[in-house]
Amino acid sequence: MHDDLVARLKTDPWFIGGLGLVLALGVVLLIGPWLWPHDPHDMSFVPLAPPSAAHWLGVNDGGMDILAELFHGMRNTVVFGLVAGGLALVLAAVIGLAAAWFGGLIDAVCMRLADIMLAIPAVMVLIVMAAFFRPDPLTLALILGALLWPSTAKGIRAQALVVKNRRHITASRQMGASGARIIVKHLIPELFPFYLIGFGVKARMAMFMEASLAFLGLFDPSRKSLGLMINFALKYYYLDIWWNWLLPPLMVLGLLIMAVTFLAISMEKHFDPRLREAL
Amino acid sequence: MSHTSRNPRASVAAYLLAALVLVYLSYRLPTLLPGDFVTAMYASSHVTLTAEQDAQLKAWYQGPSGFGAYIAGLARLDWGYSFAFLTPVSRLILEALPWTLLLMGSAHLIAMAGGFVAGVEAAWRRGGRLEKAAVGGMTVLEGLPEIATGVALLLILALHAGWFPAAGAQTAYAAMGLGAMVADALHHLALPLATLVLAYLPGNFLLTRASMVMVLGEPFMQTARAKGLSALRQRYAHAARNALLPLVTRFVLRLAFMVTGALVVETIFAYPGLGTLLFNAIAKRDLPLIQGIVLFSSLMVLAVNLVLDMVYGIIDPRAAHAR
Repeated sequence: MHDDLVARLKTDPWFIGGLGLVLALGVVLLIGPWLWPHDPHDMSFVPLAPPSAAHWLGVNDGGMDILAELFHGMRNTVVFGLVAGGLALVLAAVIGLAAAWFGGLIDAVCMRLADIMLAIPAVMVLIVMAAFFRPDPLTLALILGALLWPSTAKGIRAQALVVKNRRHITASRQMGASGARIIVKHLIPELFPFYLIGFGVKARMAMFMEASLAFLGLFDPSRKSLGLMINFALKYYYLDIWWNWLLPPLMVLGLLIMAVTFLAISMEKHFDPRLREAL
Repeated sequence: MSHTSRNPRASVAAYLLAALVLVYLSYRLPTLLPGDFVTAMYASSHVTLTAEQDAQLKAWYQGPSGFGAYIAGLARLDWGYSFAFLTPVSRLILEALPWTLLLMGSAHLIAMAGGFVAGVEAAWRRGGRLEKAAVGGMTVLEGLPEIATGVALLLILALHAGWFPAAGAQTAYAAMGLGAMVADALHHLALPLATLVLAYLPGNFLLTRASMVMVLGEPFMQTARAKGLSALRQRYAHAARNALLPLVTRFVLRLAFMVTGALVVETIFAYPGLGTLLFNAIAKRDLPLIQGIVLFSSLMVLAVNLVLDMVYGIIDPRAAHAR
């Protein structure tokens, strides 16, 4: 069944487009900072210099190379998204599977907890944490990950309940397979697409939040970020430098979020049984 | 919160519990901070405290008053004092609130109604060229963050073309009649509203279309067709009513991000709502104000969630019967 779905995914233009974007951005992210000679914290260049052979995107008001800033800001955003999305996914998978498998009290407690957490806006918690405690970005990403699991956990639980009641699970149980074996051999691998979807959705949300928090000035100002670049560049809109200073971080952020969105929407379309008919 | 919860009293209890947790965290927050944080914070801020204000702030944060007194203070609108604006926190919040409600309320309503109608019509014309183009365009829009669309609109329409004001919600110090005042407010509202609608519309459209396509395949739709009902009646009275539910659920989940959305967009357009107030409070490290806005907006989200939980049974009689 899955082979058929993978074949269908390969012909979906949104999936191909999203994958292509992710790969292209990944290559830029891995190779760019290596090849580009400037340090983003080096403030020794002529402020507001236009683009030239030495500085492809010019220099900002503080005398820093804009392209170098862009590479580092992009890396920070992506790492933040991957860390928060990864933690959210692990928590969601463990809690969702446990709730579906054990049922009863564990299920009730997990889902009630998820309900309560869904009603607490994660971004408000992050703002308070960032403003009062000034933790490093990695800690903030982990806090965000710990707040984002509920909706994915509910989805995984619902799918796990479907799989749990299928005949091949009953069959393997009758053949004497232990609970642990069924979870490891059947439940976890058969829900694989839902992990990918959940991860994509959460990583997208986390990257968007990182950009917003940075734009609002909640991170250490010396940390390079797309949001802070946009914030600074916006103050110089009246100069003719918006296209080499303001536009690049906007486009990189847009492309990053778009890439993940395309992948998540396309996978959701193909793997979610409720949406499959709507293709 | 959950729309599967069958007992309304249990969900009220859960919301009250969540609200109490939030208030308690807000109450405990200052004591969780290390050392003399009032001095540490305000040393690096733009606000200079007099010795008297310093003592007042420390008393507010480190006073011996208990949790009960804290809640009673909140009920009396005693939310603390902002030293950056030299105004009580509650007054600042209440002044900013109407603008945020106007902006976010109209954005959500327009995005929901527009996305719903467009989604229903698209599902009805499934497979057509127009429908394919609409789905493609909406998917691309869904991938654009508000920061990008907002800054682009600001640059092009406000700063370069000059068709719209770049900041504020009203023209300052202008004496005008009621009609002109409303027109002026709408003129200021246009760009932030457009940014938010562009951000929220695609999701509503894609969701409505997907659930509508599923409903259209149901046997009762065949019955409706067989009865000879008009296409419009089939589409809206029979099919769309069922497609409305996931949209309402999504609306509730989106509400949790209402203040985030307002935060970035209001800041870009300097719109004087809660988002801009919070941005200024952060920039000035005005702790009582940050704390007040965060607590207020979190409680607001809880309250709206609760109301929608109650309303859900009216929109979907099945949910009410299931109780």
